[in-house]
Amino acid sequence: MIKVKAVVHCYVGQTAPALAGIDLHVRRGSLFGLLGPNGSGKTTLISILMGILRADSGTVSIDGRSLPQDTRAIQRVCSLVPQENAFYPTLTVAENLRFFAKAQQIGPGVVDERISESLRVTGLENATGIRANRLSGGMKRRLSIAIGLLNHPQVLLLDEPTVGIDPQSRQFLLEAIKKINAAGTTVVYCSHYLEEIEFLCDEIAILDHGRVLRQGTLAAMTEEARSLTLTAPVRTAGLQELFFHLTRTDLRDMVQ
Amino acid sequence: MSVLGTLVRKELLLLRRDWHAVALLFVMPTFFILLMSLAMRDVFATGRTSTNTFKYYLVNEDTTAFATSIANALGTHAVFQPMSLNSADARRRAILRGDVQFEVVIPLGFTRALPDSVPLRIAVVSSAGVAPPLNELFRASVREAVTGVYLRARVAALNPGLSAGGGDFLQMDKVNALLNEATLYESAQLSRRPTSVQQNVPAWLVFAMFFVALPLSTTWLQERTQGSLTKLRSIGLSPVVLLLGKLLPYLLVNMLQVVLMLAIGVWVVPMFGGDALTLGNSPLGLAIIALATSMAAVSYGLLIANLVSTIEQATIATGATNLLLGALGGVMVPRSIMPEALQQLSLLSPMSWGLEGFLDILLREGGVRTVALKALMLVGFALISLTLAGLRLQRARTF
Repeated sequence: MIKVKAVVHCYVGQTAPALAGIDLHVRRGSLFGLLGPNGSGKTTLISILMGILRADSGTVSIDGRSLPQDTRAIQRVCSLVPQENAFYPTLTVAENLRFFAKAQQIGPGVVDERISESLRVTGLENATGIRANRLSGGMKRRLSIAIGLLNHPQVLLLDEPTVGIDPQSRQFLLEAIKKINAAGTTVVYCSHYLEEIEFLCDEIAILDHGRVLRQGTLAAMTEEARSLTLTAPVRTAGLQELFFHLTRTDLRDMVQ
Repeated sequence: MSVLGTLVRKELLLLRRDWHAVALLFVMPTFFILLMSLAMRDVFATGRTSTNTFKYYLVNEDTTAFATSIANALGTHAVFQPMSLNSADARRRAILRGDVQFEVVIPLGFTRALPDSVPLRIAVVSSAGVAPPLNELFRASVREAVTGVYLRARVAALNPGLSAGGGDFLQMDKVNALLNEATLYESAQLSRRPTSVQQNVPAWLVFAMFFVALPLSTTWLQERTQGSLTKLRSIGLSPVVLLLGKLLPYLLVNMLQVVLMLAIGVWVVPMFGGDALTLGNSPLGLAIIALATSMAAVSYGLLIANLVSTIEQATIATGATNLLLGALGGVMVPRSIMPEALQQLSLLSPMSWGLEGFLDILLREGGVRTVALKALMLVGFALISLTLAGLRLQRARTF
């Protein structure tokens, strides 16, 4: 479904590349975890997948279409949920959904149906008339995802969707994402919350310093983690050991 | 509805719910126009009795007809009110306190000494707190009174027929008929006097139009930091469409400002005792300069929005540069009274181009051809700003 080969990207004014030759393969229908510390290149990679940024070199194809030639077609079948609350705070939930639906040129005949469906999946049916800035943190994240579902995406790219929300909202979101995936949508889930990746994903890639350090199934990675010596602060015999083994435990303080 | 139409509609909805922006864009200039037009009414007034008067003591020690006529001539000035007080010491104290601003003393023997090679002088004393321009105005009034009376006396002496009173040079009605006291505006057959409303409406209108940069840049940065701009880029909206999605609604806002501010000049300012704004003879010229100024203002806002990183930076950058461009461009101080070097420097401000264009139409009877160059400069500035904003947006690391 998604094939990334030797992709390099360097931001203007930066010496170190944000992506230093990434190779990645995401199967159709999978719930794929993109795991990495701050500054590892996750957001840059999904920005390239969505055609927002251009790779300096390398190839990217989604569902047989290549970037940058087929950018518009790829943007029609993919959807990005950015890590920030990507909506307008002074518009209501319904107004936000209608605006993003029309901006994506979703036909007038199906707009209402798509909005209802997105509201149902994210549990926001009773919040349509509420202005977005009055929603709770969890509801705001759900609204972002609802907006992301409007175009019935074949690929849904979620960039750290559970940051800053309460446990109940987080659990609801994780369950909702599983359902979205079960309905046939390929989901790429970016996070640095290891337990979420373990809970959700069937296949994982660990990124750091713009490179894919490991890619494989959750089972294979967990198996590899068991054989490692203790590096994590708390040993859980899970993905955490492998993550710290690969990315080390040094702090990733970033200055923008 | 097209994508662009959807973006425009969204933007107008956001603006409608932002009362701070509405106040900034519409209430602030309305207030400024009313306040400044009324406050500066007398500065521009001709043939109107001023509401502000300044006092002076007139001490006429030379009681001749000639000296008295100078005192009378000075007394006709609407701004300066003559007072009399016998005690020199009391007069001095009043001037020191600033209760009375000036003293004029026509010395004994002034008329008799006129033919002398060293004539006696009229003493003009000013209070220490008098502003230099007012001081100069008063001294000029005294000079005018003296030279006027002297000139008329000489004319009457040369042509006795003008003096109906048999050589009485103080009957000056016929002499007055020889003088043509006209202002430039009346002699040029123009329909407008340079009233304060005629100056202030375009000045504060242009200032307000450029202030759209503030709400525009802050909403743009909100969209960028809140991720909605990233989302819009991810669904395939190009930088050009995104910039146009901001440009068009704010052009509309600017046009509403133009209509409202002109309407205030025409109808509201007269309600408070000010002059009514007259709109010139070229509606097309007015529309062209309004649209060009608006394009420059909105594009400038978009450029700032794409150059800075935070809402705080945008607020400071737009506020500070607007004040600077306004001060330089003649919004706060008319360019005509600036020193020559500053007048040249003010030509760098796009606000100056817009303001001069509006003044061409509203004050100088100009038309499309008069404002064409200024409009082109404004559109050029807009295109350069938009191009830079677009390039910056295209290369932005975060959207």
